[in-house]
Amino acid sequence: MAVGERDAHTGHMTTGHEWNGIKELNTPVPKPVYFFLAATALFSVVYWLLMPAWPTGSSYTKGLLGIDQRQTVAEKLAAASLDRASWTARIAGESFEAIRADPQLMTIVRETGHTLFGDNCAACHGAKAAGGPGYPNLAEASWLWGGSPEAIEETIRVGINSAHPDTRVSQMPAFGRDQILDRDRILEVVAYVRSLSPSGEPAADAGVLAAGRQVFLENCASCHGESGAGNTEFGAPDLTDGSWIHGGSLDAVFRAVYGGQQGLMPAWEGRLSPLDRKMLVLYLLDLRSTEN
Amino acid sequence: MVSQLTLGERQGALCILLLLAACGLLMLGAGQNDPLGVHGGIVMLFGVLLIFVVISGYFAPEPGTDAAGRYYDDPSKVGIVLAMLWAVAGFFIGDWVAWLLVYPEMTFDAAWSSFGRLRPVHTTSVIFGFGGNALIATSFHVLQRTTRARLPDQLSPWFVLLGYNLFCLLAVSGYLIGITQSKEYAEPEWYADIWLVVVWVVYFLIYMRTLARRKEPHIYVANWYYMAFILVVAILHIVNNLAIPVSFAGAKSYSLFAGVQDAMTQWWYGHNAVAFFLTAGFLGMMYYYLPKRADRPIFSYRLSIISFWGITFMYMWAGSHHLHYTALPQWVQTLGMTFSVMLLVPSWASAGNALMTLNGAWHKVRDDATLRFMMMAAIFYGISTFEGSFMAIRPVNSLSHYTDWTIGHVHAGAMGWVALITFGSFYAVVPWLWKREAMYSARLVEVHFWFALAGTLVYVFAMWNSGITQGLMWRTYSEGGTLTYSFIDSLVAMHPYYFARAVGGLLFLIGALVGGYNIWMTIRTAEGVKPEVLADLPAPAAARQASTGR
Amino acid sequence: MFGLHYKLERKAVGLVLAVIVAASIGGLVEIAPLFTIDETVEEAPDMRLYTPLELAGRNIYIREGCYACHSQMIRTLQDEVERYGPFSLAVESRYDHPMLWGSKRTGPDLARIGDKYSDQWQVAHLIDPRAVVPESKMPAYAWLARTPLETENFGAHLDALRIVGVPYTDEMIASASSDALGQATPDGPRAAGVAQRYGDATQIRLFDGDAATVTEMDALVAYLQILGRLTDAATASTAANVE
Ligand code: HEC
Ligand code: HEC
Ligand code: HEC
Ligand code: HEM
Ligand code: HEM
Ligand SMILES: [Ca+2]
Ligand SMILES: [Ca+2]
Ligand SMILES: [Cu+2]
Repeated sequence: MAVGERDAHTGHMTTGHEWNGIKELNTPVPKPVYFFLAATALFSVVYWLLMPAWPTGSSYTKGLLGIDQRQTVAEKLAAASLDRASWTARIAGESFEAIRADPQLMTIVRETGHTLFGDNCAACHGAKAAGGPGYPNLAEASWLWGGSPEAIEETIRVGINSAHPDTRVSQMPAFGRDQILDRDRILEVVAYVRSLSPSGEPAADAGVLAAGRQVFLENCASCHGESGAGNTEFGAPDLTDGSWIHGGSLDAVFRAVYGGQQGLMPAWEGRLSPLDRKMLVLYLLDLRSTEN
Repeated sequence: MVSQLTLGERQGALCILLLLAACGLLMLGAGQNDPLGVHGGIVMLFGVLLIFVVISGYFAPEPGTDAAGRYYDDPSKVGIVLAMLWAVAGFFIGDWVAWLLVYPEMTFDAAWSSFGRLRPVHTTSVIFGFGGNALIATSFHVLQRTTRARLPDQLSPWFVLLGYNLFCLLAVSGYLIGITQSKEYAEPEWYADIWLVVVWVVYFLIYMRTLARRKEPHIYVANWYYMAFILVVAILHIVNNLAIPVSFAGAKSYSLFAGVQDAMTQWWYGHNAVAFFLTAGFLGMMYYYLPKRADRPIFSYRLSIISFWGITFMYMWAGSHHLHYTALPQWVQTLGMTFSVMLLVPSWASAGNALMTLNGAWHKVRDDATLRFMMMAAIFYGISTFEGSFMAIRPVNSLSHYTDWTIGHVHAGAMGWVALITFGSFYAVVPWLWKREAMYSARLVEVHFWFALAGTLVYVFAMWNSGITQGLMWRTYSEGGTLTYSFIDSLVAMHPYYFARAVGGLLFLIGALVGGYNIWMTIRTAEGVKPEVLADLPAPAAARQASTGR
Repeated sequence: MFGLHYKLERKAVGLVLAVIVAASIGGLVEIAPLFTIDETVEEAPDMRLYTPLELAGRNIYIREGCYACHSQMIRTLQDEVERYGPFSLAVESRYDHPMLWGSKRTGPDLARIGDKYSDQWQVAHLIDPRAVVPESKMPAYAWLARTPLETENFGAHLDALRIVGVPYTDEMIASASSDALGQATPDGPRAAGVAQRYGDATQIRLFDGDAATVTEMDALVAYLQILGRLTDAATASTAANVE
């Protein structure tokens, strides 16, 4: 190499070249650079020996430890499920009442249920299970299919109007669109239905209400019951509890009666384990008892 | 500017532009019922507009023979102005996108303004618009100075610069009207990709032709990096963009690769776009402007060699660190991780080489915000490469991947390194190019520095916090052994950080606006011509001058 | 070593060749074997193809940049499997040109979103995310429900995909446009052919609830509802691994 001049500040020689005023010092490579190159290379070689690393054409080196990420996660999952076995076995085996009476188990149910519900159900039923337009309030309203833990468990397993072979099926007929009732009759029954709620809607004219009641008894009572308190056999909602799936405004109720409704609750069998589903039932029941 | 072209070049330019406009017309006709038609219109307009520019200067007298005795800097000047325009636009969209994550309603019910369409407008504007123009502009400047040779002709640099900007324009306008391949940092569709290949080949040829005529026996480090940037980006671009168009009359194409092979190709590209666009190119920039501004020799020529070849060789193995724990076979992940770890050494060697070059010039760093920009950039380069190598370790990546931590890392590199080194270099080169004594206002450079630094720090700290919080929340287990937080819980926790980030981005944007104003005023205000400009000459002219004693 | 370099850096062509060689090795070693090692992509005999409607939905997903916020890749990590379901297999994106694994989760992973929610929910959510999920940061995509789906040259799309390796048949290509409409109009004359060509598991429904027009909303929801359901290989594989 050409010999340059000595740089006064550092005492090192330059390489003797200059590019538009830029020079370079011929400073030797600092020792730590070689050290860290060697250290990281050594680390890599060891890692390559232990883990799957180099392709060999139609296969690859599997590594001395025989580790594979899929196997690893499977083992982790299995171990985690074993870790949980102390309480999962009890939740799977014991009755709903027994579990609800056990504060320790219920702490776990609350924690787990929060996340399970948040990741799977909250999209429709809301983070606090309070429902939303089209989706029932699970924290307060009367149960569509009955409030027994078993009924709720079944709903979650098979869904409502879902693709599951055992799905629960329910449908509110379209009285207006299918010309079962004319517009005036619908307006009457809507007024009547709205008057059943405790929300204190300004009561309509007594004549209208009486007419509406008549329409109701003839057309609706078969599903919603004479008092309008719903029927858990058909999943027909309670129309007197002040909680509405599709909204309680004149408009919304009219729409429900005119065009019908058929909500779809997905089936969770296949996506959530029986244990998860049972915990969700417990979580919902618990939510309700602590809300009130 | 046209007056600097020879008559033959003016005619050549007209031919190329006519051809371009005709291509545009063809696309417009063929793509009538397709977004491709819109791009045809843009191409045609671009061509026609430039035809007018050429015609307006067509009859100006040809440059004299003494032109060969000067460097050809017009494309660099225009490139710098374009880079600043893209910077402001790109930062503005970036901040807009940031605010969208705070106030998601700000979309006017219009497709073009939704997050998913604007985000690539931001990334393309800053990386390719701002970064690419800065690289092209400075590479032409550095290339000539370090070879003591003028660019081979006056037409090809314009072809590269303007052709490249047409590519960027097609890219960002495409996203807004729904044209994208979805491959990160390679989103433009097949015809834009092909056009970029043409532009890039010419760019490469300019480099080789100039080097062939160089008056210095040795090729300077900066040019190794610029050259690696040009070459490797070409390889990456061509392979990753292989695709079959549905029809030549439509924009849509389907990628040649699918699934796991496509993922690996994409991140081999994506990671090395970082390596050779955002790193190698800007290292080239740093290797010229930093020693020049500090007036110090490079700390170690030998260290430069180690880092250059280390970076060139090792980076290309590291792409699979973007695919840890995925369906990509684990052996590839192993290679990606180990090479990323080794890569830290040449990366820090580069950062160290830059910082040690400042030995003997630290008093200048204190007083000169321009040099401070470059020093801070080298520091952020060190931070982001350390962070990158750390995040490439599988268990760390299991936490950081998919989270805002990645976004924090990106912007430590992008704002802290790429943007700061560019601003520093611009503040150094603008007075040289426009023959001014200094920048219009040193105070404003100082103001810009603090806005940029504050903005970067606020942004990066906000994202480190949000990213790590997010990553931890996703994997926190309660005592019972089940997940503690739902996804929505983590989303809610992000809100304050998203707000902070958007504020940080605003500071950074304000800084860039100040910088743009300062550069504009420097160009506009003719002050005394710098005396040493006479020395800024290619070899033959300098020799002539010495002999005639002018 | 430095002496050698001292010579090399005097030759532009030498430098160029050296850079090309140094930079090519990594990619070759990591990418080429992915085509030659058989176990890279698992076997899945039940693997379905995207119907033209689902493909159109996929292209809308790409166009709108959903991948900027949503991944479609469940990693082999305990928390991800517990939250999102079985980890993703390579075969699941075997016909994905390009893949949409994503790199950022501003929103949740969507690899197994198919069938998780109802069409109605998907439509309501896309029209106004905050109407159903008040905490959401997702943009509203209301215009999708107003935009009729462009179905003119679907055959050409399937044809292009066949060139890159997706086994669409001549018949599928010939009836692509009709199938796209048919899948979203269950009561129309075109519906029958869809199931016949793409299998009985194909979801033939009024995805957006509006029978009058087949919209971009239909296509996008049809795509979302198929995510994770092209094959059962992932469920089977996790189950096998856990045993
Ligand atoms: C796609 C939206 C959606 C999701 C997600 C959803 N549900 Fe539902 N769910 C509904 C709808 C709609 C109904 C009411 C059906 C009707 O209107 O007849 C319902 C009803 C129910 C009922 C019956 C209520 C009663 O009064 O009997 C229960 C219990 C329930 N859901 C629990 C859950 C749980 C637990 C989850 C999560 C694992 C969940 N839901 C997820 C939409 C959904
Ligand atoms: C065949 C059984 C059936 C008959 C008959 C019937 N309903 Fe219903 N109704 C339902 C079911 C099931 C639902 C729940 C629909 C859903 O959300 O999926 C419902 C829902 C409603 C709702 C909406 C409740 C809410 O919370 O938003 C109203 C209001 C209503 N019915 C009123 C009536 C009236 C008035 C009539 C008679 C004119 C009537 N129903 C007749 C089954 C019936
Ligand atoms: C700005 C980021 C962003 C963009 C862009 C975006 N999303 Fe989302 N997405 C979210 C967030 C955040 C959530 C979680 C909150 C919610 O459910 O709305 C979400 C949730 C979802 C969900 C429900 C997932 C679940 O498991 O609950 C679906 C489905 C979805 N998005 C589809 C899409 C589609 C399709 C597009 C493009 C047309 C899209 N997203 C674009 C942010 C985004
Ligand atoms: C030694 C050097 C570096 C290494 C090893 C490295 C490594 C990484 C890793 C591990 C990720 C996260 C991948 C993921 O989990 O998805 C990443 C992302 C990223 N890095 Fe770096 N990094 C380095 C330097 C830089 C620099 C200097 C920049 C400059 C701008 C940069 C820009 C990016 C970008 C843009 C992404 C995001 C890619 C995406 O879209 O997902 N990196 N890097
Ligand atoms: C005003 C300054 C900036 C702001 C406000 C800003 C904002 C943003 C936002 C909000 C995102 C999307 C993050 C997400 O999806 O969660 C983003 C992504 C990105 N930005 Fe910026 N940005 C700025 C500057 C820059 C600069 C200077 C560069 C590069 C030179 C850059 C490069 C990128 C890249 C590469 C990504 C994609 C990251 C990934 O996919 O992992 N940004 N930016
Ligand atoms: Ca492309
Ligand atoms: Ca990304
Ligand atoms: Cu990377």
